[in-house]
Amino acid sequence: MPDFTDNLKPRYDGTATLQAERDASSINVDELAKHLLSRNGFLERQQRVLNVLSKEKLFNKDQLLNLSRPDRYYLGLARSKAIQRIGRKLGWDDEDYKMAEYLNDEMSPYHLHTTMFVTTVREQGSEEQKAYWLPKITNFDIIGCYAQTELGHGSNVRGLETVAKWDPERKEFEIHSPHLTASKWWNGAMGRTATHAIVVAQLLLPKQGKAHEYENHGPQPFIVQIRAEKTHQPMDGIVVGDIGPKYGYASMDNGYMLFDHYRVLKSALLSRYVDVSDDGKFTRHGHPAVLYGSLTFVRANIIMHARLILARAVTVAVRYLAIRRQFRDRDSTNEQEDEMKVLDYPTVQIRILPLLATTFALHYTGEYMYMLYQRSRETIEKGDFGPLAELHSASSGLKSLCTMLAADSIETCRRAMGGHGFGGGSGLVLINADYLSKPTVEGDNWMITQQVAAYLIKKMTQAVKNPNNKAKDPTDVLFQTYLQTRSSRTPKTIVSSSGIDDEAIVDAFQWRAADLSYRAYQARVVEKKPWTKLMVQLHNLSRAYSEQILVTNFYSSFETTSSPLSAPTPAVLRRCFRLYSLYTLDTFASSFTLTNAVTAESTYALLDAILELMTELRPHAVKLVDAWSIPDWLLDSALGRSDGKVYEDLYDRAHRRNPLNKITFNPDYRSEEIVLGSGDGGRDLLAKL
Amino acid sequence: MPQTPSWVKQLKPSGPQGSDLLASERAASNVPVEQLSELLFTKETIQKKNKILATLKSEEMFDKSPNYYAGRYEYFEKSVARAKALRNLKLRENWTLEEYRIACDLISEPLPYSLHEGMFVVTLKDQGTPEQQERFTKPADDYKIIGCYAQTELGHGSNVRGLETTATWNPERKTFTMHSPYLTASKWWIGSLGKMANFACVMAQLIINGKSYGPHPFIVQIRDLKTHEPLENVHVGDIGPKVGYNTMDNGFLLFNNVEVPHISMLARFSEVDPNTSKYVRKADPKLIYGTMTWVRSTIVMQSGSALARGVTIATRYSAIRRQFTDRDEPKAKVETPVLNYSMVQIRLFPLLAATYALHFTGKAMMNLYTRAQETLSKGGASILADLHGSSCALKALSSTIAVEGLEVCRRACGGHGFSSFSGIGNWYGNYLPTVTFEGDNYMLTQQVANYVLKSARAALAGKAAKNETGHILAEYLKKKDIRPSFDITSSNADIVSAFAWRAASLIFDIQNKRDNLKTAWNDLLVDFYRMNKAYAQYMVVVNFYNTLQNTKAAPEIESVLSTLFRLYALHTLDQEASDFTATGACTERQVAVARSTVEQKLLKEIRPHALRLVDAWDFDDYVLDSSLGRHDGKVYEDMFYRASELNPLNRVTVDPYPESPVCFRKVEEAHPKSKL
Repeated sequence: MPDFTDNLKPRYDGTATLQAERDASSINVDELAKHLLSRNGFLERQQRVLNVLSKEKLFNKDQLLNLSRPDRYYLGLARSKAIQRIGRKLGWDDEDYKMAEYLNDEMSPYHLHTTMFVTTVREQGSEEQKAYWLPKITNFDIIGCYAQTELGHGSNVRGLETVAKWDPERKEFEIHSPHLTASKWWNGAMGRTATHAIVVAQLLLPKQGKAHEYENHGPQPFIVQIRAEKTHQPMDGIVVGDIGPKYGYASMDNGYMLFDHYRVLKSALLSRYVDVSDDGKFTRHGHPAVLYGSLTFVRANIIMHARLILARAVTVAVRYLAIRRQFRDRDSTNEQEDEMKVLDYPTVQIRILPLLATTFALHYTGEYMYMLYQRSRETIEKGDFGPLAELHSASSGLKSLCTMLAADSIETCRRAMGGHGFGGGSGLVLINADYLSKPTVEGDNWMITQQVAAYLIKKMTQAVKNPNNKAKDPTDVLFQTYLQTRSSRTPKTIVSSSGIDDEAIVDAFQWRAADLSYRAYQARVVEKKPWTKLMVQLHNLSRAYSEQILVTNFYSSFETTSSPLSAPTPAVLRRCFRLYSLYTLDTFASSFTLTNAVTAESTYALLDAILELMTELRPHAVKLVDAWSIPDWLLDSALGRSDGKVYEDLYDRAHRRNPLNKITFNPDYRSEEIVLGSGDGGRDLLAKL
Repeated sequence: MPQTPSWVKQLKPSGPQGSDLLASERAASNVPVEQLSELLFTKETIQKKNKILATLKSEEMFDKSPNYYAGRYEYFEKSVARAKALRNLKLRENWTLEEYRIACDLISEPLPYSLHEGMFVVTLKDQGTPEQQERFTKPADDYKIIGCYAQTELGHGSNVRGLETTATWNPERKTFTMHSPYLTASKWWIGSLGKMANFACVMAQLIINGKSYGPHPFIVQIRDLKTHEPLENVHVGDIGPKVGYNTMDNGFLLFNNVEVPHISMLARFSEVDPNTSKYVRKADPKLIYGTMTWVRSTIVMQSGSALARGVTIATRYSAIRRQFTDRDEPKAKVETPVLNYSMVQIRLFPLLAATYALHFTGKAMMNLYTRAQETLSKGGASILADLHGSSCALKALSSTIAVEGLEVCRRACGGHGFSSFSGIGNWYGNYLPTVTFEGDNYMLTQQVANYVLKSARAALAGKAAKNETGHILAEYLKKKDIRPSFDITSSNADIVSAFAWRAASLIFDIQNKRDNLKTAWNDLLVDFYRMNKAYAQYMVVVNFYNTLQNTKAAPEIESVLSTLFRLYALHTLDQEASDFTATGACTERQVAVARSTVEQKLLKEIRPHALRLVDAWDFDDYVLDSSLGRHDGKVYEDMFYRASELNPLNRVTVDPYPESPVCFRKVEEAHPKSKL
């Protein structure tokens, strides 16, 4: 309905403001975008899939925040189905489907089917099992999920309570939940969607020669039908359902599941690496550590994803803060002067610009991880498990650091935007809620850092014992160099009158990681301190080690002989490198000085150097976020629109697209009526409670 | 979905049961919980609370169990019904304002009358003339009109001077014209405005004869009293869904040249003379700044209990949740409760200490405020000025600690922290705006800077110190050249002095930059932020310390509070190590000792008392609405019950295959039992 507000304009023109920002920097955005996002044809694919999805009414994002949980799931399922139908029609490949899920930006009830479920069958199924199951999976004749974690058990797979007991008479397994805490819990797509599940259960086989005693062979994967094909009702002996609302992931039916002596055939055990013979004997072929292979793959993906999440939050923040004005400059004497752009405040810059720099730090490490994973995968397939340790360790430490950085940064960006950051128009409400699960899924961040520390202690022990062994990986090189130069170390000076010393930065991060590893080795191996007491120290070690990886990889990107990028981009990226490094150094200053990585005096100069770097980066901020090429449709943010029409869009969402405004309420407490004129008397409501 | 089968109903959690674990936790400590609660809240308040709690629990309307499932629309509808019911309960039970506030606190979600009560009526009382009280306050008190407080705009938050809405005086007709010249002039975020209010107190630029006199408050009718439809040329509505606060109708409001009578402008402090059209200032509006100080002190005190909810939930659950057997005892059959992990302790216990520190600080400030008001002539004024400065600093620090701490608690619960049934997520969403309202935490630091710069200049000029800030600045100047050393490892008093030293040093540092080096204000903002943190942290430490000095309680309480004090102080010192060493408040060696004291000693000392220390916060299960934080430890039973019995999604059978466009094949009616 037209009204007088249709002709109102914001006091400052956001579009012109952003244009002026873009004109003030000579960075070539297209070139930088290609540099960052050309792997697997990302940019071209993004555009192509976006064109398809954004035209479908079903994928309109307007009302998501108004919907109840059951409606969100309904919509999530409807969209997942539609994506499959569209993809088949257009002949999409795997990457296209992934792109569609990324752009649709909610957890799909098919997500586990197309990731963990199929990957596990492919990696852990025997040839025969693969031939039977894979066509059904690809064709969506069955829908799968992955049931590992339980109500009482998360990170510790060995502690799972669900059992799969061998019945020697019928040569079958009996899957059973002996306690309430054995209930499978949190498993995506299991609550309402899936027909089949990979169930991880403790494999119990009779002890040889003793009829009624069983031996535990550890957690193993079973492929199990959980709902009937026709009716979609749970199979007899299974109770399965959705676990209810969560902080985020509203579109996903995370589930619970219990088994009552549920029988499955012998062929349910995925048997590429383990098997049970007809007479109940356990055999193992290959390396058991490979069971963690798919977990490592998921972590690698999470890290690659983290940079885009972070980029998204920073894109919204930078654009809005370049438009939002607040207070005149206090030192200005001109009464008529406009209020200042918030992004010009150092208190705002220090929250946002280091995060902008971090997006690039994550990028170069993501590329490195990708390479490391591909390289190790080939050798694992050949039966050589040597590199798995380095891969597993690097992936878990980085996963912990990157997801924590990304999760925290969404919230930092949201708050930096003041009141409007709290509104749905920020576009950060759902992403914040959905992404917050990342620090806990696939291994609690605080728990998996212990694996990293254990690995580093082991490496340091080896380096101390055999200082002259041939170095097998970068960690060996680092530790051996550290041990050789430990006694003659002079702490570095990072910032001096001649400027910032980049090599000293890399050296300082590496030294700190090596020194903390050595201290952990001393405490654990030499002084034999209890593990539990060392945990805080070990967590800090993992973080330091991962930060070292980020800094080293970022720095290595400058070493390639000629940069493919035109001026001033390489120089700007180098400032990002410095800002990320110095900001981290400043945040953990005492850890750097206590390990002799840098001199205490040089930490005092950090704040001024950081402020100067931010002043230098400030003019390029809008173009740097532009380069991440996050489409407006994905941002779904009034504040982060690429055309700067912030206030027009906020108002449009509130006024024209808000269902609450279609209703007139009765505010008088004397009347029980809630919706005016309905005469409801609160009765409908009580029925809903 | 079929009813839960009996074989499921018979299942129990494995291993030691949650209720037994919590019972043995409680048995392992001798801290007298009830006494400690009384020390926090007083016996009288606790009794009142329990009575109100019983009333609320007996009302079906306030049953919280369906809260987590609803969409924005239904949730808001329910909250309108609850607001009405609560008002009726207040009348029925004859509650005082304090008791009514306790009830709101127990319900723990913002209700759509709250801006009427909290801001509209208060502003009328503070700023209205007797005639205006008669005309507006009376019907407002009686809910004949329902109001809100419309200050912030789409394009303007903290900076009131920048507001765009205008109120132009018409000398002939003796009226004001309310107008929104830009889209960004739209009032925005205004609680209770979106759907409920029919009146608003509107802050607008007063314009007389083309000259602007700055923002003033106007009482404007916005909706018809019968039809509740917006009046002509008034455009008003709800701004849509938010991170939290979805039970509140935060609204927008635009005027298209709406004329209101002369009496609309609240005129206790200034008015437009209707005959001469002159602007008349009648009294100093600073008189009402006291209210703001009071509001901020309340935020400081509430930040303690806001955080304590998260800490209670995380601590109880961590005492039950077990993960991995101890690495040093590989043979142990039972996994270790995660609360035994130093990794979990280092995240939760400093926050536990902070809940007490913030509570005592808020309480001390409110006492000081009351006493200073009574002795305005005898030095009370300078204490009030100091309180204004320190309440800004503390509001920024304490709400940031609480918001960030709640998320730490949620994550410390591992995967289950992500479930709505953890009880932390929803609460966090509703608490979040605290860091931006009543003065954005970052913006406030500039006001603090203003105040401490003034104090620093006074101290340098040798003026006698009249308040806390003056004292620490004078002390610093006296000893600056001697560089005293503080024995932070064995003396609590020295810990306080080290915090004071660091704060004073940073204050003089910015004074030097501003006054001597003439650094631009904008270039100092990050320094201000650092200074503010140091100044506020000192305030928390000294107030906690003073509370310890002045409290007579059972020896077990005194001893555990002293440990909490040292944990809070030394952990903070370690976090801010570079500040402390750079200002000479302590040496690097001392930082290392502080860190190992926290990690190797204090965490261990707190560990046996952790459960009782959260119990003392006295949250009823009704308030927490959390499976993980249940007082009786039936964590897994409750998670399972809510998921399988209360969860509406389990009444649905889907068609999962992509070929079929049908999504929900069958939706069952709610079981009669779960309907109620």
